[in-house]
Amino acid sequence: MMNIEEIKSLIPQRHPFLMLDRVLEIKPGESIRAYKNVSINEDYFRGHFPDAPIFPGALTAEAMAQAACILFKKSMPDVNVTTPYITNMKIRFLKPVVPGDQLEVIVKSVKMVRTGGVFETEAHVRESVIAKGEMTFACK
Amino acid sequence: MPQVDDLILEKELREIIAKIIEIAPDRITLEATFVNDLGMDSMMALEILAAMEKKYKIQVPEEKLGRLRTLKDAINLAKEYL
Repeated sequence: MMNIEEIKSLIPQRHPFLMLDRVLEIKPGESIRAYKNVSINEDYFRGHFPDAPIFPGALTAEAMAQAACILFKKSMPDVNVTTPYITNMKIRFLKPVVPGDQLEVIVKSVKMVRTGGVFETEAHVRESVIAKGEMTFACK
Repeated sequence: MPQVDDLILEKELREIIAKIIEIAPDRITLEATFVNDLGMDSMMALEILAAMEKKYKIQVPEEKLGRLRTLKDAINLAKEYL
């Protein structure tokens, strides 16, 4: 278990772009499970969409990337990651996420090296898979 | 039958690489260099290595990544760990 302060100590993103609230489980070198509570109070719901708030898929992808970054840092503690950046992402979005949902992301390492990693990922709401895919990120 | 195995390996790796680089498989000759001839970047090389590991259930050490410059290199690397 990792709280928000520990998360902030590991990734550079901050409000309004911090997309994880808590890490539930982490297995360095293998996988991570983390979640975000999606609240109607978040500013982007004013425009996405005014009469039908839906959590942007791009932010689900960002939550996956942030979880991958935490997994990477915990797996490669001697690598100094100042700026992680996504080089490839292929995500299929299966169901919408709405305010009140708890978005859980699961990231599994396919291959990590000192310059980045390749990951498989899924996002769940309750027991339902709402997005899945793969991504690569590099570190600078 | 090692020659047949080599041909299958070449075909499978060419398909893996073509999918990752997003180019036609027939452009990937044995000697075409990924970076200079096919426009690949270093993270695509990592994706190719990851895809090879997944398909053939092998583990290739990180230091071998720099050796992955052509399809021929990929075949040799796969064979080394199969």
